[in-house]
Amino acid sequence: RYVRQLQRLQLLFSPTAADARGAREFVEEAAQDFARQHPDVVLYVSPHSGPGPAPMLRAEYLNGTVRDELIASKTSEEILQLATKLANQSGLDIIRIRKPFHTDNPSVQGQWHPLTNKPSILTVQGPRLQPQ
Amino acid sequence: TAPPPEKKRWLRAYLELQRLQAPPQRRSEKPNWDYHAEIQAFSHRLQEHFALDLLKTAFVNPCYIESEEARRRQLGLDKDAVALQLQDNTGLAERGLRFARAYLAQCFEGAYPELPAKGVEALVNFLTSQELVSYVAQNLSVQDLALCRDFPAPPDVLQRTFLAVIGALLESSGPERTGIFVRDFFIPQLIGKDLFEIWEVVNPMGLLLEELTKRNISAPEPRITRQLGVSTVLPVYFVGLYCDKKILAEGPGETLLAAEEEAARVALRKLYGYTENRRPWDYSKPKQGLAAEKAISSN
Repeated sequence: RYVRQLQRLQLLFSPTAADARGAREFVEEAAQDFARQHPDVVLYVSPHSGPGPAPMLRAEYLNGTVRDELIASKTSEEILQLATKLANQSGLDIIRIRKPFHTDNPSVQGQWHPLTNKPSILTVQGPRLQPQ
Repeated sequence: TAPPPEKKRWLRAYLELQRLQAPPQRRSEKPNWDYHAEIQAFSHRLQEHFALDLLKTAFVNPCYIESEEARRRQLGLDKDAVALQLQDNTGLAERGLRFARAYLAQCFEGAYPELPAKGVEALVNFLTSQELVSYVAQNLSVQDLALCRDFPAPPDVLQRTFLAVIGALLESSGPERTGIFVRDFFIPQLIGKDLFEIWEVVNPMGLLLEELTKRNISAPEPRITRQLGVSTVLPVYFVGLYCDKKILAEGPGETLLAAEEEAARVALRKLYGYTENRRPWDYSKPKQGLAAEKAISSN
């Protein structure tokens, strides 16, 4: 069955900084709807007062990876899109995929080895027998 | 007036080093943690409806209760305050284990009717073994929610907690839904695995002879089918097993004895129906109303 790989989203922002305006609007308008639509993601909203680090969205996945995304100077819709993108990702590292195809069954009739299609020693090879 | 003094240059590097060298901590001890919300999210993530108090007892391990009582006694509280009001998860874990084993045995007997009891037992033991269950539990975030004494939680604790979760599901939703849950999370662990990787068979030829006598087929006759590089360091022999001059199975090997054993294993896989090209497992929804149909048909 499908198990959403995103465990929790932490929204760290400051209630007074200018670049956290989008984060504040997101919390006021869209955060509750997002939480209701994704009941298997725990959303933590933690405002830290005073000048602190930049506003950030921290996503923790089931396999332990923690992904930080800066949301400074982003609008509320952009933050919502970012949050849905993180919710639909798995926690695997984002690296270059070597090949865009993969198969668990590389061979259906058996992989070729030098002895396929060679007759076995036991098959009798002789002159044609006359029908009786 | 002088400009305000800046923080020292080395401070950032020092703080970073402190952060990297800090010992690993439980997620529950880091900031932003709400146990009730996490448990609700856990039940939604598995798409199952749990009774929350049963689920909370399922995560409580006996080592946690002992360590908590010892800590309270050390802090010098009275006897009444020392005793915790929490219940263990050992009962739920036992029930979960029994149900999981019975359900998996039933699944395998239905899917591979030719497989003998020892084979079914080996498969069930593999699926309920510590490594597999703790691996499944780790990837479902059970290690964050489980309350136990050591961190990181040892694999037997994770196994007990996950089986207790299955027991809690059994109590809340009934055997059908728990069966579907066990099927969805345990049976995919068999993908890509071969029967004889899981089931250790010492004498495959003897087992094959027993199986053939059960089906009234004569004893197999081994013959060399193909051979390559006989006089080299790496010979390859293909030995075929023939019953009444009809081929049963063929297997490769480095020496003649190894090839014969491999041929016996291939023959056993064919007989038990556990080949690589068998039908994949059926994960469709079970049809409801089967019990009602049986009742109607028996009338």
